[in-house]
Amino acid sequence: MSAEQHGLRTSELSVRYGGLVANDRVELRVEPGEIVGLIGPNGAGKTTFVDAVTGFTTAEGEVFLGGQRIDGLPPHQRRRRGLSRTWQAGELFGNLTVAQNIEVAVAHGGFGAIVRDLFGRRRASLGETVTAALRTVGLDGIEDTVTRDLSLGQQKLVGVARALAGNGQVVLLDEPAAGLDSQESLEFAERVRGIARGGPGVLLIDHDMSLVLGVCDRIYVMEFGKVIFTGTPAQARTDSRVIAAYLGVPMESAHA
Amino acid sequence: MDTYLQFIVLGLGLGAVYIGLTTGLVLVYRATGIINFAQGAMAMWGAYVFAQLRIDGTLVLPIGRITFGAKPVILVAALIGVLMSVLLGIVAHYLVFRPVRHAPVLAQVVVSVALMLTLQALVVIRFGPNSIVVDSLVPAGTVTLFGVEVSSRELIMTAVMIALAALVWAYLRFTRAGVATRAASENERGAMLMGFAPDRLAGVAMVLASAVGTVGVLLGSSLTGLNPANYTLLVVPALAVLLVARMESIGVVVAASLVLGAFQSVVNLLVSKPWWPQWAQSGVDQVIPFVVVMVILFLFGRRLPSRGTLQTVRLPDVHVPRIRPVPALVLVAAAVAVLALTQDTYRFGVTYSIILMLVALSYVIVTGYLGQISLAQTSFAGAAGFTLSKVTTNWDMPFPLAILFCSLVAALLGMIVALPAFRIRGAQLAIVTIAAALAIERFVFNNYALTPPSGNPIANPSLFGLNVGVREGSDLSRMAFSLTVLVVAVLVVLAFVRLASGTTGRMFLAVRANERAAASVGIDVRTAKVIGFGLSAFVAGMAGCLIGYSAGQLSAESFTVFVGLQILAVAYLGGITSFGGAVIAGIIGPLGIIYVVLHEVFDMGDYYALISGIALIATAILNPVGIAGETRRQIAWLRGKLRARPADPPPVPDRKVLSDVS
Amino acid sequence: MPEQLLSAEGLTAGYNGVPAIRDLDLSVGAGEVVSLLGPNGSGKTTTLLALVGLLPAMAGTVTALGEPVPTRRPHLLARRGVRLVPDDRGIYFGLSVREHLRLARRRPDPARTAAVLDRFPALAGLQSRKVGLLSGGEQQMLAIATALLGGPKVLMVDEMSLGLAPKIVQEMLPAIRELARDEGIAVLLVEQHVELALAVSDRAVVLNHGRAVLAGTATYLLAGRDRLESAYFGADEFAATQGA
Repeated sequence: MSAEQHGLRTSELSVRYGGLVANDRVELRVEPGEIVGLIGPNGAGKTTFVDAVTGFTTAEGEVFLGGQRIDGLPPHQRRRRGLSRTWQAGELFGNLTVAQNIEVAVAHGGFGAIVRDLFGRRRASLGETVTAALRTVGLDGIEDTVTRDLSLGQQKLVGVARALAGNGQVVLLDEPAAGLDSQESLEFAERVRGIARGGPGVLLIDHDMSLVLGVCDRIYVMEFGKVIFTGTPAQARTDSRVIAAYLGVPMESAHA
Repeated sequence: MDTYLQFIVLGLGLGAVYIGLTTGLVLVYRATGIINFAQGAMAMWGAYVFAQLRIDGTLVLPIGRITFGAKPVILVAALIGVLMSVLLGIVAHYLVFRPVRHAPVLAQVVVSVALMLTLQALVVIRFGPNSIVVDSLVPAGTVTLFGVEVSSRELIMTAVMIALAALVWAYLRFTRAGVATRAASENERGAMLMGFAPDRLAGVAMVLASAVGTVGVLLGSSLTGLNPANYTLLVVPALAVLLVARMESIGVVVAASLVLGAFQSVVNLLVSKPWWPQWAQSGVDQVIPFVVVMVILFLFGRRLPSRGTLQTVRLPDVHVPRIRPVPALVLVAAAVAVLALTQDTYRFGVTYSIILMLVALSYVIVTGYLGQISLAQTSFAGAAGFTLSKVTTNWDMPFPLAILFCSLVAALLGMIVALPAFRIRGAQLAIVTIAAALAIERFVFNNYALTPPSGNPIANPSLFGLNVGVREGSDLSRMAFSLTVLVVAVLVVLAFVRLASGTTGRMFLAVRANERAAASVGIDVRTAKVIGFGLSAFVAGMAGCLIGYSAGQLSAESFTVFVGLQILAVAYLGGITSFGGAVIAGIIGPLGIIYVVLHEVFDMGDYYALISGIALIATAILNPVGIAGETRRQIAWLRGKLRARPADPPPVPDRKVLSDVS
Repeated sequence: MPEQLLSAEGLTAGYNGVPAIRDLDLSVGAGEVVSLLGPNGSGKTTTLLALVGLLPAMAGTVTALGEPVPTRRPHLLARRGVRLVPDDRGIYFGLSVREHLRLARRRPDPARTAAVLDRFPALAGLQSRKVGLLSGGEQQMLAIATALLGGPKVLMVDEMSLGLAPKIVQEMLPAIRELARDEGIAVLLVEQHVELALAVSDRAVVLNHGRAVLAGTATYLLAGRDRLESAYFGADEFAATQGA
C-alpha cells in the first residue's frame, strides 16, 4: 500500500466566513506514527483548520482519512472512523468521572444501547479500554475522580486520552499545553511522543514554541489562513518568514 | 367579504394586546437575555387593579387594600393600574430577575415561569377565580371603512399600541440609555467596559416593558373580560411573535402581532362555517402560533440571535444513581406502609404522589440529564391518557398492555417534539414546547369532537381477572389500585436507574455538558435528543395512563399547560437532576399528599399555588440544586464531619467566560 | 518619573482557582506607553482582565488613579477614565458608527469628537454605517476612537494588531503614541507584533507561562533580539530530551 492510503490528508481546504478567508487552500498531511506541528500567530486560522477537518465548520475542499474521503460526514461519523480531536478549553464532561469521560467515547449510546442498558450485563471490556487509554497519557488510578476535581494539566491529559480511546487513527491536539506550566509542558511532550509511538498520527497545535519545535517531526506554519512554511523544526527556527510571523518584521524593513 | 373585514378589525384588538406584550418581551430580552414568561401575568395584575378600582373604588395590593371613598375616574384608575404593574416590574427586577442574570438558561426559564404561577395564584387569591368585566378606556363606536361599518374601538386600540411601540423603538434608537441597552445585548462585557451598568439598563427596560404590556392588557381586557388564566397564557402567542421578530425588531413585532390577531379572528369565523370539519373546530387559533413558530425556526433556526452574557453559574450536578437494594426496599416498604395506614382522600393523595413522581422523573430525564427544556411533559402524559380511553373502551385492550402501548404513543409524540431541538435550545426550545403544549391542549384535550364534555371513560384495569381499579362501591381509593401504581412506578424507576447509570445516561450527560464536545467523541447528538425526549415522554405517558385510571376517565384539567408548569416547578424544587428530587416533587406536587393535607387540614388549597410559586423562585435563585441536592450535600458534609475529615470544598464558580445563551 | 496612573504589585490571577499569571509587577505612568508582550497563552489578556477587576486578584494589589480597583465593577472604573479595549474590541455590529460615538460621552462634545476623528480620518465618512459592515481596521479604529472620546486617563488595548494588516497597525500605533504624549494618557498595549509595539513604547514586559520573563526599556529590548527570541521560543529544553 502506498503512503496515500494512510493517515490524514487535506486537499485545497478552504473556509470562508462572509468575506473573510479563514483558511486558504490548505494542503496538509499527517502520517501514522508521525507528530506534525501546526503553528502560527493568533488569528492565523489554526483552530478553524481543526474545525474544518473534523466537521465542525463548513469548508470547501477534500479531507481524506486512511485513503477515504470524509468531508461531508457529520463530526460524530468522522470520530467513529478514527479522526479525533481535543479542544482548547479541554471540554471534558464535568459531571462525569474520568472513566466515564473515556467510556462515552467508546460506547456512544443509541437505540440499541437502551436494550443493552436495560437487560444486558455491564461490559467489563470498557474498563480495560479506559485503563489503556489513561496509561498512554501516563495517568493511572484516577478513573473514579470527577473530572472537575482534576488539575488543569490532568484535565488536558484526560482530554487527550479521551481522543485516543477506541480507534483513534489521527488525533488533532488543539493547544493541549495552554495553561500548563513549563514543567507540565515538558512532561506533556514526553506523552505526545509516547502516543505517536503507539501508532496514531498526531497533529499538534500550540503556542508553546519550545514544545512544538522540540517534539514534532515536521512543522507547518500558518499566517492569514495560508500555509507559509513546511519543514523540519530546525529549519523553522531559522526561517525568516517564521520569525517574522511571530515577532514581526523590523520597522525599517517593513517600510522598505 | 364585509364580515371578513369586520372580523379582521376585531382581530386587531387582540393584535394590539400582542403588540404590548411582545414589545415588553423584546425590551426585557435585549436588556437581560431573559425571556419573561411572566410578561402576561405581570400586565394582568395592573389590569385587575384597574378593573377593581372601577368596580368598587378599592385599590387591591398584594397584601392589604386601600378603599377610596369614590370610584376614581377612568384615566386615573388606568394610571394607578399601570403604576402598580410598573412597581411590580421593579420589584421583579431586583428580587427575581437580577439574581439569575448570570444563571443557566434553565434557572432563568424556571424563575420567570415561577413568577407567572405566583402572580396567577395571587390574582386568584386577591381578586377571585372568576371572570370579571372591565370598563373600556375607549368608547365603543363604529366607523365606515371601505364601505363597511366596522368597530372603531379596536382601531383606536391598535393606534394607541402602535404609538407606544414607536416610543419604545425611539427609546432604543435615539436615547443614550436605549442605544446602550442594544449595545449591552450584543456584548455585555463591552458595555461594562464603556462605563454602563447593565443592571440599571435592565431596570429601565423592565419598567418600560411593564408599562407597555399593561396598557395593552388594560385595553384588551375591556373586550374580553379578565380571568386569571387568559392573559397569563396570552404570553404564548406573544412569544411566537417574539421569535418571528427575531427577538429584536419592534417593527416586525407590530406587523406580526396585527397579522396574527387578525388571522386568529378570521380563523374563528371560518371554523363556524358549515364546510369546516367539525373535529377541527377547537383550538385552531392556538395551533396557528405553534405552526408559525415551527416554520420560522426551521427556516431561520440557526440564525436566531442569542444574547451574549457573562455566565458564572452552572447547572446542578448529576449524581449517577446505583441500585442499592436496602434503601430501595426500605423506600418501597415505607410507601406500602403509608398506603396501608391511610384511606380514601389521603390514600388517594399518596397514590397521586407516586404518579406525580413519575411525571417529575420525566423532567429529570429530559432536563436534568439531557439538558433540554421541555414544557410539554403533561401533554405527553395527556396524549397517553387520551389514547388509553380510546384503546380500553373501543378495543378492549387489557391493562398492562394498554399502558405500554399508550406510553409508546406518547414516546412517539415526544420524538416529534424533539425535532425542533435539533436546531434550537435553551429558552427558545421552552417557547416551542409551551406553544406545542398549548396547541395540543386546545386542539385535542379541549376539543369536544375528540373529548366529549362528559369525559372520556377509561375501563377499570384488571390483572389476571383481579380488579385493580381505583374504586369499588364506597371505597374511593382501593389498596389494589395503589399497589398497582406502586409496582408500575418501581418498574419504571428501576429501568430509569439502569439507563441513567449505563451508556444512555452517559450519552445524555455528555450532550448536556457540551454538544460539540459530545459530537467530537462520536456521539450522535440528534439521536441522543430523540432518545431523551422519547424516553421522557414514555415515562410521562406511563404517569398519564395512571392518572387516567385513577379518575376512571380522562379529563382535560389533569393535563393543562398550567399543571405541567406546576409539576416542573416542584420537580425543580425537589431537584431536577436526581431521582430523589422526583420523589420530593411527587410528595409536594399538585394533588399529591402535601397538597391534600393543606387542603383538608388547613383549608389552604388556594395558597398552594402561591406558596409553591414563591418557593420555586427562592429555590432557583438561592439553591439551584433543589431540596434533594441540598440534602445530599448536608449528608456528605455530616459524613465528612463524622469521619473527622474535611468536607468537600465549596464548588468554585466556573471560569467567567463570554458564552452564548444558545 | 511620571505619576503612576495604573500599577499592579505581586498580581496573581486566574480561572477556577488556577493562576494564569503569577506575581506580576507592572506600572504605567501618565504620558507613557508600556507594552505587554509574549506568546499566546502566556497570560497577557488575563493580566488586562485582572487590571480592570473583571477577574479578581488571587494575590497582590491593583491600583488605578490612586485607588484600589473594585472587583467586577469595570463600569465604575470606566466612568473614572480607566478604559480597556478588549480582545473582541468591545464594539457592537448592530450599531452604527454614530451610535458608538454617542455612547462614548455622557454629553455630546462636537469639538472633542472632531478632534478624535481627526486622528482617524477614515471613520469620518462612515458615521451612518453599521459597524458589522466596517473592515477590521476600521472597527479597530472605532474601538479606540470610542475609548478616546471619553477622555480616558488610562487606556489599555488588547491585541490591536489581531487580524490586521501590518500597514494599518503601523498607522494606528503612532497615533496612540502621540495621543499619550499630548494628553498625558497612560497607555498599556498588549501586542503579539513585537517589533511594531516596541517601536512606539517606552517600556515593555514580556510574559511567558504567566510570569514576567523579560522587562526593560524598548531600546534595551530592541537592542537584544536574541533575548527576545529566547523569551518567546523558550530555551532548548525539549531538544535535550528528544533523544531520550
